[in-house]
Amino acid sequence: MYRLILLSFFIPTFTGCQSPLKKTNESVGDISFESSMDKRDFILCDSNNIKQYHNNQKGLEYEGEKIAIVEEFRRNYVPVKCTNCDGLIRIRFIVNCKGETDRFRLISMNEKYENKNFNSEITEQLLTICKGLNGWIPKKIDEREIDYYQYLIFKIKDGKIVEIMP
Amino acid sequence: MMKYLFFILIPICSWGQPNCNVYLYNKDTLQYRACKSVEYVPFYQYTKQYQERFDKALQICPYFAYAYKAKSTAYLKSGDFLTWKYLIDKAVEYDTLSYIGYRGWCKYQFFRDYEGAIEDIEYLEDKFNSINVGYSAGGEYHLIVAKAICYSALDDKKKAIDILEDLFANKEYNVGLFDYYQLAVTYFQVRDYINASKYLVKQSEINEIAENAYYKAKIAKLNGNDEIYLREKNKAIQLYKDRRMLFDDYTEPFNKVYLATIMKD
Repeated sequence: MYRLILLSFFIPTFTGCQSPLKKTNESVGDISFESSMDKRDFILCDSNNIKQYHNNQKGLEYEGEKIAIVEEFRRNYVPVKCTNCDGLIRIRFIVNCKGETDRFRLISMNEKYENKNFNSEITEQLLTICKGLNGWIPKKIDEREIDYYQYLIFKIKDGKIVEIMP
Repeated sequence: MMKYLFFILIPICSWGQPNCNVYLYNKDTLQYRACKSVEYVPFYQYTKQYQERFDKALQICPYFAYAYKAKSTAYLKSGDFLTWKYLIDKAVEYDTLSYIGYRGWCKYQFFRDYEGAIEDIEYLEDKFNSINVGYSAGGEYHLIVAKAICYSALDDKKKAIDILEDLFANKEYNVGLFDYYQLAVTYFQVRDYINASKYLVKQSEINEIAENAYYKAKIAKLNGNDEIYLREKNKAIQLYKDRRMLFDDYTEPFNKVYLATIMKD
């Protein structure tokens, strides 16, 4: 009996495959305004209808194409010397109908797709550079300018950026 | 025998909506009911309504793999690797042969997880013991080409070349729209310009793209042939402007070359 109680106590620790799904009233990937971190003067054309970057079938749209984003990170990111600094970091945000950005949110994982917190020297640099990107092209669908969700994923190896997605 | 079994399984294994009658035929009424409940879902993948329809299907049948895969798609496209992996692993757990190839492709395409993609594709190859392991989610590459791409990305160029040469020599294989280009670039990267040129020419014959002309220009430049270099470079620029290039709505294609690079080189 004692063993059973002990076992049940540890079950949540042992189950490595817990669902990351959250019950919300929102669509997948939506980012609500948070006064503590988001700009009040970041205006959306239609806050009830924020699209995804792939909805206009033009993929990622940036002045000078994706290679210009890669170049920004190559010039500005300083590799961080650290061990156990491998995995992916995703920064998701909104590009509004004027091409301005805000509502940056970050998730990260190790190489086994498990939640992992990276060294803040890495994440802070990525966020700062990401917030400084100012070449986002306003997208249109049916001639109407739209707000849209965009993300960048950074593949990190030994504290260095080895790839940027999508 | 396995070859024929594969073709029989295709209606079940396809990554789209399954044929519900297959479950009925197999006397699996739970999966049949779950399948029927999502035969028509008039909502966008990202919406709460879409996700809830598949949650209900999973309440009917908790091992209905297609529902997990359907739920996973919006997470994949939004870059949420944590939730995507949880859901697609469930789909693979309950119907491995139908979804492991798709998972492998997505690991590569969205998260550049080359080792993970190779592992999934090789699992299918071992199971079927043939080249009939299916195609990428968008249909642009055979999964064995995807595997070669992953080896190339891991800098094992020789293995990538061997895989592609073997595949293209197989009489059962129909060469894809960008296959020769990928092999040509891999040869170029190991400085085998003779074979690179051979496959760039073959690529031009089936589907000319800006990147292909760009590599032809690079080889001409290396050979000191200014006339061909300029001709192919200008051709590459024009093809790019005409949007005849490697492109994908969601992610950057492998060995994509951007206009700025073509102009600069």
